[in-house]
Amino acid sequence: MNDYIASLIQTTCISLIGVVSIFPLTGMTGLFSFGQAAYMAVGAYVSGILAVKLGMPFWLCLLLGVLSCGLLAIIIGYPTLKLRKDYFSLMSLCLGEAVTAVLNKFGTITGGAAGLSNIPKKSTMPLIIISAVVTVALVALFKNSRFGRMSLAIKADELAAKSFGINVFAHKMKVYIFTSMIAGYAGVLYAFYLTYLDPNLFGWTRSSEWVIFLFFGGVNSLTGSVLSTIILTVLPEILRFASSARIVMYTVLILLVINFKPNGLLGEKELRIPVRKQFRTRTRG
Amino acid sequence: MALLNVENISKKFGGVCAVDGFFMEVEKGEVVGIIGPNGAGKTTIFNLISKVYETECGRIWLDGTDISSYTQEQAARSGIGRTFQNIRLFNSLNVLDNVKVSCDYKPRYSLIEAILSLPRTIKGKRETHEEAMACLRAVGLEKYALEKPGNLPYGMQRRLEIARALALKPKVLMLDEPAAGLNPEECAELVRFLKDITQKFDIALVIIEHHMDVVMNLCHKIYVLEFGKTIAVGTPEKIQNDPKVLAAYLGEEED
Repeated sequence: MNDYIASLIQTTCISLIGVVSIFPLTGMTGLFSFGQAAYMAVGAYVSGILAVKLGMPFWLCLLLGVLSCGLLAIIIGYPTLKLRKDYFSLMSLCLGEAVTAVLNKFGTITGGAAGLSNIPKKSTMPLIIISAVVTVALVALFKNSRFGRMSLAIKADELAAKSFGINVFAHKMKVYIFTSMIAGYAGVLYAFYLTYLDPNLFGWTRSSEWVIFLFFGGVNSLTGSVLSTIILTVLPEILRFASSARIVMYTVLILLVINFKPNGLLGEKELRIPVRKQFRTRTRG
Repeated sequence: MALLNVENISKKFGGVCAVDGFFMEVEKGEVVGIIGPNGAGKTTIFNLISKVYETECGRIWLDGTDISSYTQEQAARSGIGRTFQNIRLFNSLNVLDNVKVSCDYKPRYSLIEAILSLPRTIKGKRETHEEAMACLRAVGLEKYALEKPGNLPYGMQRRLEIARALALKPKVLMLDEPAAGLNPEECAELVRFLKDITQKFDIALVIIEHHMDVVMNLCHKIYVLEFGKTIAVGTPEKIQNDPKVLAAYLGEEED
């Protein structure tokens, strides 16, 4: 396998973890986050700095990177998740910008705009692929649990969800922390894959890219998100021969899908493994 | 003390007094009706009891506990189940999942157990499934478990709302116009059905209804409201002959 294809597979898998990380939040609970890449940045930088400046082992950097995202999600989520959904979206956009600004300003620790380099290369191809598969499985299990159902209920009708005993705020907090930690994990993998970080990698373009992927695939379909991530990451590469026209083609494709399939490519459909179907309808709860 | 005891609750919207000093007592096994012309404040009373609105004055007691300061979800967990006047089902969930939502607040398994599919998750899912199916069977919708609620006819959607409320295991079930849009035969069927579930689930029922035949056949006690004030309380026979009620409904005779 040549390096080009190997790098394409690895970046696609890391993107996939990112997209899947906003699926429970934006796709299921209906909270639009335009700053989720900020958590990827935090995960990447925290683990990267620990490795470069303190020489910590990879597994510890990974753990602390992910945990710091959870902590940040608690601090940000506590005041903002009480707000109405649209205000939460605005706050998430601000968070994304704030994190990039902080990374640029604190150059002594983060390397500033010049970036942070010399991170050891620890994210290997098998690790990245296994991580992507495991993350998709975790989120699929989330969707099939009471937490997934509560998310969908809250998205459909918050008032009704409350009158059936669901603590909406507590649930949103759990989902926010969960998804932010996944995004942070994607960040850690990314840092130890690229071995170099700069703040512009985690701007709002990346956050909104994830939201686009999600809606392209289908708001309530995890299978759709996986599919759309693969299509929309690989497609620009295939269209490379068309040079600048590829951006046009890419945009046209997205506009076509949004126009003719407003619920996304797959809508609410999921890939189900037929053998387990019987088992699922019997025990799903 | 009664199962549900409402003491002197009021609600103002701006200058309009939607509910003005409402008192109500509901005993276990009892069916209580709230009637009155449109805009009399009936749904507001439901919203006050189920804590959609905060209690600004007055007290609400459920089974000896003061629930006045509870949040909406606490009230639901403590045993207030309700349906909505304009059906509010979760349309993206199927019929069975709509009912399961009522069991979901119970911490049968944590988020970590869920994403790792640990044994408690599998057991918890089974329990939820059985409870929800039992409620669907009670309303006769088990055949439609995997349908989307939007595909069901109106009457069935109302029944699904009742099933969802029953899955909360409520002490008091409040139904907001359960007979709206039903024809006379369906109304008679509804009366039988509601009497049946009141006994089977051992609950008290509070209903808001405009169909007088439903109210008169079903309720043990009726509260009549007009412009937020209670103008009469009593058995169906007493209410039917009360001059104030006749005046509110038919208009006063001019001398």
